[in-house]
Amino acid sequence: MKPTSAAPSSHKATLHRLKKGKQAHISDMSSIHETVQQRLLDLGVTEGTMIKLIRRSLFGGPLMLEANGQLFGLRRVDASLIGVKPL
Amino acid sequence: MSNWSAALVGNPNTGKTSLFNALTRSYEYVGNWTGVTVEKKVGQLRAHGGELIDLPGIYSLQPLSKDEGVAVQYLIEEQPHAILNVIDASQLERNLYLTIQLLEYEAPMLIAMNMNDVAEGRGMKIQEHKLAELLHVSVIRVNARRNQGIPNLLSSLSTEGRSMQDSTSRFKLDYGKEIEQAITELVRLLPAVQHLAPRWLALQYLENNKVVQQWLQEHAPAHALAMMNIRNNTEKKLQAAGKALHLAQHIRAVRMAFIRELQDVSVSRAQRTSATLTDRIDAVVTNRWLGIPIFMLVMYLMFKLTFEWIGSPVSDLLDSFFGGALTDWLNDGLAWAGASEFTRALLVDGILAGVGGVLVFVPQILILFLFISFVEDSGYMARVTLVMDRLMESVGLNGKAFIPFIIGFGCNVPGIMAARSMEQPRERLVTSLLVPFMSCSARLPVYALFAGVFFSSNQALIVLSLYALGIVLTLILAKLFTKMLMKDEQSIFVVELPPYRMPQWRTLFRSTWEKGKGFVRKAGTLILGGSVLIWLLSYMGPGGFNVDMDHSFLAKLGGILAPVLAPLGFGTWQAGASLVTGFLAKEIVVSTMNIIYHAPDMSLLSLEIGKAFTPVSAYTFCVFVLLYVPCLATVGVLRKETNSWKWTLFSIGYALVIAYTVALIVRLIGLSLGYV
Repeated sequence: MKPTSAAPSSHKATLHRLKKGKQAHISDMSSIHETVQQRLLDLGVTEGTMIKLIRRSLFGGPLMLEANGQLFGLRRVDASLIGVKPL
Repeated sequence: MSNWSAALVGNPNTGKTSLFNALTRSYEYVGNWTGVTVEKKVGQLRAHGGELIDLPGIYSLQPLSKDEGVAVQYLIEEQPHAILNVIDASQLERNLYLTIQLLEYEAPMLIAMNMNDVAEGRGMKIQEHKLAELLHVSVIRVNARRNQGIPNLLSSLSTEGRSMQDSTSRFKLDYGKEIEQAITELVRLLPAVQHLAPRWLALQYLENNKVVQQWLQEHAPAHALAMMNIRNNTEKKLQAAGKALHLAQHIRAVRMAFIRELQDVSVSRAQRTSATLTDRIDAVVTNRWLGIPIFMLVMYLMFKLTFEWIGSPVSDLLDSFFGGALTDWLNDGLAWAGASEFTRALLVDGILAGVGGVLVFVPQILILFLFISFVEDSGYMARVTLVMDRLMESVGLNGKAFIPFIIGFGCNVPGIMAARSMEQPRERLVTSLLVPFMSCSARLPVYALFAGVFFSSNQALIVLSLYALGIVLTLILAKLFTKMLMKDEQSIFVVELPPYRMPQWRTLFRSTWEKGKGFVRKAGTLILGGSVLIWLLSYMGPGGFNVDMDHSFLAKLGGILAPVLAPLGFGTWQAGASLVTGFLAKEIVVSTMNIIYHAPDMSLLSLEIGKAFTPVSAYTFCVFVLLYVPCLATVGVLRKETNSWKWTLFSIGYALVIAYTVALIVRLIGLSLGYV
């Protein structure tokens, strides 16, 4: 599963564009790398999960996110492939 | 019933280690799982005849990394008499996912529900008897850190397993007619293995569990094709019925639906109150501007504690004891017993000088490991991976590679083992190959010795520059290696950030001792043997026994290397000989010098070193020792982890080339700046 082949179009809401402190429902996880997807599933993160952006880091570093009361880190490039429906 | 054993299984960060320590008296055995260097811990249960086996923390039975594969392999190949499943009450949903897969395995089972305080802090109220009722298994509330619920758990883990046995086999989830039919068909083709539940095997096969599929491939090769057809047909049927795109996805969906129902009945939620302590700490330590400076500060503190505030003063005390009082006693005692000069020289100049020279560093090593364990157990290590990921990404690795590097400062061996938590095989390989450039604590005695003699006013700075050199080279080489080796592999980084917890002293001391005792054991075996050998080589020569050191076998051996090392500024047989013996263990470089220069303690040795080296050649020598070859133990673990002699030999070869080149450059720069 090559993530590049399914780059999201600019008008679609993606996780990496979420504002700090804002929440959204995940709507599409089909474009991300299989292993990343499995790891997110392990953490209980899947389509429909409510997710909150806690913090960004400098120079396009990883995002700190929260879902189901669980904190985790995810790279910006992976987050840009996750579609969301903002609340 | 000494063979009775239970397996402790659970998600990472559920307090599994605390529970293991609370339930067991002592480590019966700490070793490695067969074939891989993933740590296998077996403990003796308290007030119980049985053993508890600690499996690596896993999220599900679908293995992504090496240590997860180990857990599944264990469940297939060995049969625990019971499973103790530890779950995190604050993360019920994903913890129960593993629980369901374990229940399907159909071994007698018991659930220990931990982290209840965190759950309550989040406004969750869990009625464990309802969970127990619906899962047909006992659920016992515990607080592993405060020992609450432990006696209850122990008495429930009855060796007969009677109370557990009949209950678990009652749990059965209905996966819908397509999958149930596939299970029935698969079960007929499965090899008859007494201890494995056929339904579990069939489900894991359908879910695409790589380890199970491989096992079936080996045990029922004749049916491989038929089984694959069942799998594909079922997936097609599901797609046609519009139920799911993938089989595994459907199985997961059924389980998740069940877990949601389970939670609806057993969990009530109140509104979450205020910001937790974790939120407040994270706001500072993962702050976009402060994150890296704070991490640097933590590392600085670690080195200060290890090498200045606590470790070194204690080491100095030990050194003066070994070099002074103990040497005198031994000399007096031997004279009284009428021992021969040979015996005296062997014991005092060989063993005491060699082994003592290494044992003095044990306090520093233990402090370093204690600090690393603290950083790991508190939850900060996971944040470090987040903070450092951007830097690591720029050289093609990910933030998780930082953990092996930090642990590598203590000792490269556990550092390389820590790389097993990385999901991508090539990334793991590159990380493992680079860990030896992390200046482990065994190299410190060498720097301490030389810096003390030549750079006494800038000691800390000189030592720090060597650590920094190792890190800079690592980053450059990481860029190179990932470019060459990871062309078709993407670096993966998803990291769970557990809530902060104050580490428990019991757990800290136990894990520090587990890691540190290797050094003590090494001093008693490898370094003891090495010291005797080196001393003998220095005592004997072509001319017979008790020869002048310059005519010994050791001098001959070092002499072969001297011309090669001459361009680096330390072309003496003494330097050559200590580098050769340093391959056994880097701290032997100092032991060898103790023996060669007839200097049983550090002050005498300093005097001799001052005569034999110049400031530039001393610094160059330190650079060479930092980089030249991984020690014997590291080579051993590299061989095991990479499972390839090619990569192991490569790691030795490229390190030698890099060491020689960099040392030469350093020397030329030093000379051109007018130093001697």
